[in-house]
Amino acid sequence: MTESSLTVAVIDPSQARAAILEEGLRAAGIGRIVVLPDTADLHERVSALKPDVVVIHLESPSRDILEQMSGVSRHAGRPVAMFVDRSDTTMMEAAVDAGISAYVVDGLRPERIKSIIDIAILRFNAFARLQRELSEARGELADRKLIERAKGILMNLKGLSEDEAYRQLRRKAMNEKRKIADIARAIVTTADLLG
Amino acid sequence: MRLQIGYVPLCDAAPVILAQELGYAREEGLDLDLSAEPSWATLRDRLALGHLDGAHMLAPLALASALGISGPPSDLAIGLPLSLNGNAITLSNALSAAVAGEDGFGGDWRGVARAFARVATARRQAGKPVTLGIVHPFSCHTYQVRLFAQAGGLDPAALRTVVVPPQHGVEALSRGLVDGFCAGAPWNEVAMAAGVGRVVALGAEIAPDAPEKVFAVSGRVGEAGAPLVRAVARAGLWCADPDHRDELVHRLGRRAHRDRELGLVARAFERRGPDATGRALGHLRLGEAAQARAPERLDWLLREMRAAGQLDADPAQEEAARALYRPFS
Repeated sequence: MTESSLTVAVIDPSQARAAILEEGLRAAGIGRIVVLPDTADLHERVSALKPDVVVIHLESPSRDILEQMSGVSRHAGRPVAMFVDRSDTTMMEAAVDAGISAYVVDGLRPERIKSIIDIAILRFNAFARLQRELSEARGELADRKLIERAKGILMNLKGLSEDEAYRQLRRKAMNEKRKIADIARAIVTTADLLG
Repeated sequence: MRLQIGYVPLCDAAPVILAQELGYAREEGLDLDLSAEPSWATLRDRLALGHLDGAHMLAPLALASALGISGPPSDLAIGLPLSLNGNAITLSNALSAAVAGEDGFGGDWRGVARAFARVATARRQAGKPVTLGIVHPFSCHTYQVRLFAQAGGLDPAALRTVVVPPQHGVEALSRGLVDGFCAGAPWNEVAMAAGVGRVVALGAEIAPDAPEKVFAVSGRVGEAGAPLVRAVARAGLWCADPDHRDELVHRLGRRAHRDRELGLVARAFERRGPDATGRALGHLRLGEAAQARAPERLDWLLREMRAAGQLDADPAQEEAARALYRPFS
């Protein structure tokens, strides 16, 4: 069985993140990747698709569906599919850190799964990093806007120049050991309330 | 000491949540960071891998994880039983009408089970087996469904059981993806309120005082284990006090349920007589009733896990399971 004959299903509440993983798997030569939405009929869809591997994000409530479908009880008489090799704790930790889990059909060699999991870990971690950077950038932009507004308020109320207004903000922040943005937020909030 | 504690948003997570919110944990010198987990499997894995130090868990899943038959290797103990009798079986409107007695569901649940068995047998013969939802293979829900089937003389293998995450229960029922489900509070109440199903039997009737949820503690916490369990136990007693009902429902609503379900959440805790349909709702018991030392409950659990083919009839494994239960008392 080569990569090109594998069918991998991806389940992720985040469409953007699922798309990134799909791209990564395609680049690795996986034959068929199907992104399944996290809907109430997921069980039916997975049954119909018969994937060799299912990669699912830990945020998905549907993991428990896969637990049962994969026959987590070794007495179930169904193909025992487990999350990679249970003895590979390092791999499992890296996967959980990245927020993924995977279920595979019996008979697939561990190395084949490992490469898929590695790709998923890389992609999901990259996505998480992008999200963090975006959130930080948004935060910085919001902070800058607040500081601009606070300066404007001080300039109007106290007849200060822009530089002097900023210096007062900075001095207050240093004295109170707080961030300039927090002082700015307090000023803006008060000004809003006082009309 | 700061500890990460996981739970799945359900009524019976209350003692874990309240241990932090009421300050009981802090009085023991512990700061708890509560984490709502999206699935039982993820909660189990995070506990096993050290992202969580303790968790609200399905009792069988906690045992299975600790015994090494579910998820990554773990070092766990069952610190405290949390809850009893929160589960119920809800069937679709069509199926519940088919199994209702002459007086609705006010009579003996075994009559309902027999009617259910007749319907299920016919459906199986027609090649369309009855499908029931459960929350996870390693759950009392699984065993209660089996016992319900057997009470009617039905082989559980004649049923098709699938996992349905509780928040998909209403949709699964209304779309006919399942014919019913066994779920914990407040999901049966939610389904009834949505008009897509009826409670036909209670877990409390099928298997009285089955140990549904427990508080599992990782070996990693060491000496903090006993004070942690003490705090949760105290919170459990608080939760069981009817005088605290309003505050309990309010706090649960904030942590575990959207506000519009609060009325339903409240119903889960009330000891009520039969409602207009003849079925008594609300038997969830927390606190002393759940926490009482009762070895027969563990016996029952192990027996059912064996019957479901999840455990071997292996004395060594059984001894290991017993050793995991309540080491802090």
